[in-house]
Amino acid sequence: MNLYNFSNLEPFNLNKEKKEFFFKNRINQLTVFHSKRSYLYKRFLKKFNYQLKKVNSIDQIPFLPARTFKEIDLMSVSKKDIFKTIMSSGTTGTQSSKIYLDKKNAQNQVLVLNKIVKTILGNNRIPMLIIDKDPRFGSKNSFNAGAAAIYGFSIFGTNHTYLINRNNEIDYKSLEQFISKNKKQKIFIFGFTSLIYEYLIKNNSLKKKKIDLSNAILLHGGGWKKMESKKINNSKFKILLENKFKLRKVYNYYGLVEQTGSIFLECEKCSCFITSIFSDIIIRDLHFNLVKKGDKGFIQLFSILPTSYPGHNILTEDVGKIIDNSKCICAEKGKAFLVYGRMPRSEIRGCSDTI
Amino acid sequence: MSQTDKINYLVGKEGLKREILDPFNEKIINFFSDLSKQIMKDKSLSKYPDLMAFAFFCRKANLKNLKNKLDQSKLKRLGLGILFHITPSNIPTNFAYSLLFGLINGNTNLVKVPSQEFEQVNIICKCIKQIIKKKHQSIKNMIKVVRYKNNDAFTKKISQLCDCRIIWGGDQSIEKIRSFTLNPNSLDLSFADRFSLCIINTDKLAQLSKEKFKKLIYDFYNDTFVVDQNACSSPHLILWKGKKNENLKKFFWTSLNKLVKIKYDLNHTAAVDKYSELCKIILQDDKIENFQRYSNNIYTIDLKRLPNKLDDYRGKWGFFYQFDISKIKEIQKYINKKFQTLTYFGFSKKELNNFIFDNKIDGIDRIVPIGQALDIDFYWDGYDINKILSRIVDVR
Repeated sequence: MNLYNFSNLEPFNLNKEKKEFFFKNRINQLTVFHSKRSYLYKRFLKKFNYQLKKVNSIDQIPFLPARTFKEIDLMSVSKKDIFKTIMSSGTTGTQSSKIYLDKKNAQNQVLVLNKIVKTILGNNRIPMLIIDKDPRFGSKNSFNAGAAAIYGFSIFGTNHTYLINRNNEIDYKSLEQFISKNKKQKIFIFGFTSLIYEYLIKNNSLKKKKIDLSNAILLHGGGWKKMESKKINNSKFKILLENKFKLRKVYNYYGLVEQTGSIFLECEKCSCFITSIFSDIIIRDLHFNLVKKGDKGFIQLFSILPTSYPGHNILTEDVGKIIDNSKCICAEKGKAFLVYGRMPRSEIRGCSDTI
Repeated sequence: MSQTDKINYLVGKEGLKREILDPFNEKIINFFSDLSKQIMKDKSLSKYPDLMAFAFFCRKANLKNLKNKLDQSKLKRLGLGILFHITPSNIPTNFAYSLLFGLINGNTNLVKVPSQEFEQVNIICKCIKQIIKKKHQSIKNMIKVVRYKNNDAFTKKISQLCDCRIIWGGDQSIEKIRSFTLNPNSLDLSFADRFSLCIINTDKLAQLSKEKFKKLIYDFYNDTFVVDQNACSSPHLILWKGKKNENLKKFFWTSLNKLVKIKYDLNHTAAVDKYSELCKIILQDDKIENFQRYSNNIYTIDLKRLPNKLDDYRGKWGFFYQFDISKIKEIQKYINKKFQTLTYFGFSKKELNNFIFDNKIDGIDRIVPIGQALDIDFYWDGYDINKILSRIVDVR
């Protein structure tokens, strides 16, 4: 099996048993692969007394916490082969994750993202409206990972139009032009959940203009943290978009910057995120034991994409749970899960601050 | 952003009036004695062991005891004047001890409590107000308790008018507060970040009866988990002195884990912080020999050798470094001014005294048995607080 080759894989065409078998092997191979190429990763496995010779079920392989990518430079290729570095500051904390990509890894991210997004957008590139500023303006709001996401998803579009101008206002002229030009065809709208809420849903001036987006497919991600206080959840979000713009095809996605490419799209019926051939999820409790089916806990994510850095097996700080989807149309695609975002940080006792 | 908060007076009103008394004046001792009784009567007392501990500390018998620790020379003392206390954000009852130190030495006190609301703070303040109203009107001007988060103008004003500023906090907070200058005659008493460690005699531990072992585990728990292992006197490093005994160490940690499981409420932050710290040091540091996890409650990290900057090796939420030594002297060269408390088991006082004074150890200013790490006293961080918070009037 060639760990760099993804061209013959399709996101949802293996049945459960075949996928599990394939995925387990691939993750085991990646673990060996990274231990040979990153002495730090090798040391990590060794300290956990991990036996590389056996093929283990994926939950038995030591996992790196997401925070490690903020604290330590991890790469499985030599420095000179690094083609680009993705930085993300995440939601809290000041340190950013640094993800080191070589050419092959970067190409595979694009390829796999394409395969997944194609399942909702179709094979052709379509006009694209981006609910953000052009990242070339160097906006303060979009971090590097934000820009990377916009660029990453831009390959699915033509006639790229940015909704927000330099002054953080809606660029009505561009919007009207975009809409009138593409009235008769499918369009693609992309943006961060919070910006879509801010600029499309909350903004009243758009209502007066009676904009019809029934021909659009909206893809959004980035989490609900900023909307929690306003009691906006996924279903409310969808209702608001439908009422205001007749926009019915709305897809939330979830993914880690450490595992760019193998994102999770929501099922159009049950609204849960669905794993693909490229990814898997398990849930752990406070002591990192596997939870009982359906219980909430820490989300651990697997991706078969990372080859230039050991990011194939990561414990996130997000809390989520696996949903029984056996009765939904997504059952044949993969596992279904919900994400509740990060637990608020608990205050530590002690005497090191005076605020 | 420098927004300015309102100053919220929990005890007393705006306006500082200088009033002084002599240390351990009967008025003050009676005040605390009544405060102790008032807190003991509070119905929420059982919920807060730290509240109980303070009430116990300020009872009359204990204050009389402490008086005997005072400078016994014939020189007479009076309070310094106005004290400005800035107390740590995460230990609810610390402010009450700080107030006690100030008041008992005959000073007028303005105490800033944590901006985050704690029930313990509210209860103590309520009790203070009740007993002042009933019986202690004469000292009411000597006690002001305030709560605010951001108000540099206020901090600046009080800094200029106080005779001593007492800062309990991290190095960064102290630095920030120090940017507000004091009156030329005034002084800063600051309790900064410190490093603490624990030493256990394995030969003695192996001989311990079941009951006494259990008590020791309980005491160790109180030194550490009660404050998320994040007080400056909670140990980060455990030194095992004596014959190497892996099973004994494991037994110690396993027993502790049993107690932690029952008493400690492990949260998400603790779990992720500990695991992330573990992975970081494994990847980053070649001085890590091994580690053990007792579920996510306790992590122990075996050091290959003692690192030069030993005080950088800190843990929180139940994350302990450990190392075997055969003689206590082996740690001498690693000790520096950052070292505060050494908690111990299985040593004689004399042994430890000799170690410090024979070798003129430049660090460590408290050596107490396991279980007393958090017991605050008039001797703290090497200072005799009584001597600092009062002045001698030299009449010849």
